[in-house]
Amino acid sequence: MDDLLSLKQAFIEESASVSDLSGLQGLRVKYTGKKGLLTARLKALSAVSPEQRPAYGKVLNEIKEYIEGFLKDREAQLKEGEKDRRLLAERIDITIPGRHTPFGRRHPINIILAEITDIFVSMGFGIADGPEVELDHYNFESLNIPKDHPARDMQDTYYVSDEVVLRTHTSPVQVRVMEQRKPPLRIIAPGKVYRCDADVSHTPMFHQVEGLMVDTAVTFSDLKGILELFVHSFFGKGTPVRFRPSYFPFTEPSAEVDIGCIFCGGKGCRVCKTTGWLEVLGCGMVNPRVFEMAGYDPGAYTGFAFGMGVERMTMLRYSINDIRLFYEDDLRFLGQF
Amino acid sequence: MKISLDWIKEFADLTAPDQEVADRLTMAGLEIEGMEQTHGDTLLEVNVTPNRPDCLSILGVAREAAAAFGLPVRLPDTAIREKLPPSDVAVEILDPGLCGRYTGRLISGVRITATPDWIKRRLESCGIRSLDNNVVDITNYVLLEMGHPLHAFDADRLAGKRIRVGRAGKEMTVRTLDAAERKVPAESLLIWDGGSPVAIAGIMGGEGSSVTSGTVNVFLESAYFEPFSIRRTSKALGLRSESSYRFERGTDIEFLVTALDRASLLIRQTGGGTIHEMVDAYPEKYEPPPVEVTFERINTLLGATLGSGEIVKILGRIGLRIEEKGDRIIVTPPAFRRDIRIAEDVIEEVARLYGYGNIPVRIPRAPLSDGVPNRRLEAVGRAGEAMRKSGFTEVINYSFMNTADLDMLGISANDERRKHIEVKNPLRQEDGHMRTTLLPALVNNLTYNASRGMRDVRLYEIAKVYIDESGRLPREALRLGGILFRENVPALWKEEGDPFFIVKGGLEALCEEFRLKDVSYVPSSEPFLHPGKAADIHVQDRRIGYLGEMGPAVTETLAIKTGKPQIIVFELDLDALFSLMPERCTYEPFPRYPAVDRDIAVIMDESIPAAELIRHMKEHDPSIIETVELFDVYKGKHVPEGKKSLAFRIVYRSRERTLTDTEVEGIHAGLVASVLKKTGGALRAS
Repeated sequence: MDDLLSLKQAFIEESASVSDLSGLQGLRVKYTGKKGLLTARLKALSAVSPEQRPAYGKVLNEIKEYIEGFLKDREAQLKEGEKDRRLLAERIDITIPGRHTPFGRRHPINIILAEITDIFVSMGFGIADGPEVELDHYNFESLNIPKDHPARDMQDTYYVSDEVVLRTHTSPVQVRVMEQRKPPLRIIAPGKVYRCDADVSHTPMFHQVEGLMVDTAVTFSDLKGILELFVHSFFGKGTPVRFRPSYFPFTEPSAEVDIGCIFCGGKGCRVCKTTGWLEVLGCGMVNPRVFEMAGYDPGAYTGFAFGMGVERMTMLRYSINDIRLFYEDDLRFLGQF
Repeated sequence: MKISLDWIKEFADLTAPDQEVADRLTMAGLEIEGMEQTHGDTLLEVNVTPNRPDCLSILGVAREAAAAFGLPVRLPDTAIREKLPPSDVAVEILDPGLCGRYTGRLISGVRITATPDWIKRRLESCGIRSLDNNVVDITNYVLLEMGHPLHAFDADRLAGKRIRVGRAGKEMTVRTLDAAERKVPAESLLIWDGGSPVAIAGIMGGEGSSVTSGTVNVFLESAYFEPFSIRRTSKALGLRSESSYRFERGTDIEFLVTALDRASLLIRQTGGGTIHEMVDAYPEKYEPPPVEVTFERINTLLGATLGSGEIVKILGRIGLRIEEKGDRIIVTPPAFRRDIRIAEDVIEEVARLYGYGNIPVRIPRAPLSDGVPNRRLEAVGRAGEAMRKSGFTEVINYSFMNTADLDMLGISANDERRKHIEVKNPLRQEDGHMRTTLLPALVNNLTYNASRGMRDVRLYEIAKVYIDESGRLPREALRLGGILFRENVPALWKEEGDPFFIVKGGLEALCEEFRLKDVSYVPSSEPFLHPGKAADIHVQDRRIGYLGEMGPAVTETLAIKTGKPQIIVFELDLDALFSLMPERCTYEPFPRYPAVDRDIAVIMDESIPAAELIRHMKEHDPSIIETVELFDVYKGKHVPEGKKSLAFRIVYRSRERTLTDTEVEGIHAGLVASVLKKTGGALRAS
């Protein structure tokens, strides 16, 4: 019986120093293997005298359960520890930046152009396109700007020949569309335009969005409604809007649309030249002469047209103070939008 | 135009604060762009639109202000009541088509003196320099005040005491009072005396007939010249004056007498002398054409509900003669409002005086739109997005180019890119053509950014090029161009391999975005590309563009501080690309049977293109070979000089059944044998 207790004592002492799975395996072989110390005792049980056997067997069984139980628990424990160690070893510095190709940026003009386009598309306007190198006829004559008209001074024109110009505005698209389609009509025409002018506030090329709506009873009141809606979508609800009489040969009545200065809240500042207002759009009711030249019956239809400079809208949106930045294409600029 | 508010107040009793005057004028259509205080006066910066030449004067602005506040306009007394001696200068209009009226007065015995200070001050407040000559300064004074240009001749220098108004007839030289020789076209209108030209009508007087300190007898001209004629001459001469600016926009054929008398009286007041009878050549009295408009039309165009009485009252404020006829009015504008010609012009007058702000705001009722989205625009958007995802930033360049750039790129004479159109009046000579390629501008963008220290530059642009195909207008074709340059970029995650493949990867992603089928890259002969790193991009055997490394002939000319900068460029024909994308995509059920992978690594001659080998392998048994993917390219240790090792993964799969190992082994062995035979290579020991 004493030898059993000393076996258990020996196991307890040896097992205390086991710190990994291979040590544990050694212990397992030593005690419970085919030739193990415990196995030997179990095999020798039949040699114990019958009167001592029950008590001896009971103790032996308890020791067996203890050893097997210990081995099982310890194994689970060591396995868990080993996994922890492995995970610890595999640890990475999660603060190192991730790997990706940084996306390129969209040019701010095209960001704003898309935004303007989306607003009008949501109001049911279609998108039309026209040539940038344009006939004088479409750029001027058909818009009620004959040769010798002083309104030609409003735009410094690039000429390709006497009959061909670089379009000075997107308005010629109006006429081209009207020649091809019958009313009702709701279109916008975004695109590049050219003027022979370059200084602090002008670039020889810039972008405009033209709009046109024609139907049997379109009114100035509708024009105000659509453009006010646009201004509120683009600059935010509550932006003050005013319509001020102006002049364009292709509209009558004509108007400029001003918004309350977004920089000073209308109090007057450098940007709005102390007026409290910023001019953002030109517009008006389509001049009947334009309808006639496009082949529409001016007695049957009315319509409105409008145009805006995309550079201007972009400068207002992002507080950009120099138009030339748009065409320097400096990555330090382009990367900001 | 800068004008004095004090002066305006001589014509209308404006009592409102300056700011309110400015606001009312602005909201009535005469935009006040700025205000400035000087010497107790307020100067208004007025923006006069080209349709309103009548506002190019103190009186004109006063009229508008009076209308805006509902006040009367007060004109200075210009009546000359006494009996006058007859004029001894005779006037004759030879070209009534170019000159509708010509009046004048002789003022004899005038003293040419210094200009009184009050006149000088006013001229200078409006930005006109006093010449300290009472006669000349008074003509300018009346021009500012009444908007009508006058001209003073020395009557004794008019040969034959005659004025004739007629065309030059042939190109001729006229010496103007600024001592310049002007070449005048044959069609231009001149003022002649008995023998020769004495002034270029409406633009500038001649030197020989001008008023000098010795002048005693002055002949003062006040005429109406046809706007188009003055404009043409002014443009042809490149000469604009305060006079021509007003004449070419249109002056008041009736009121010009008042201006003449106003100036005559001021001259007599400052220099004495005797005013003579007016000579007046006025072949056909101007009758403004009446304009008819219904009350209904006014309200339907504006979307307003104005009563007839209100409309008549509004129009009365600007001096229109109105005749009511039931549901309509017949409006006769004054001679200074030649811009009112059609019903809509009258409607604009009603609207602006009623106040645009008072017209209701309404969201129109409109039929649903046809709802056809603009596919092309959508495709342009997707192309840009694909490029941005590959790291390219968008640029926008001017549509101009310098043809010297085409020479630098070595573009041959018969290349399409040489079919450019020229701009006749460029701001800079080097911007004289519309571009036929996006490349030169992208190269400029690159050098600009590289010279500012940017070491990783990836740019793209989507824009039109303009190809002259001898039509009335050039063909405008949409292009996508791009450029990449990387140098000494400290990077946490290294990009390996030739930068060519970074760009190629971006373009492959683009082609995948558009689901293009049969895309291939074949050696390109673009003259500006590195011959060993240049590819033409073909889709379904159609060339849609190129991609490659910029050759040394170009890079050596660039201001980039690197020995051999590796610059990768590309340019695609987006119209072609869009036309090749499939209309729609259709769902295909995915395979139900498992796939078997096999790898193969072959050492072969360096010159064998990988794409050719992949095609060869796929064709080996297209029904079973699903994909062939290149996963390793190796040169170096264990691979002989001039050779390379390519490793492929081949995926075998049947659509009908599960393939057995033996079956795959058999096919794969056949494939390996075929590859070795084709390449003359050897399997690489693993």
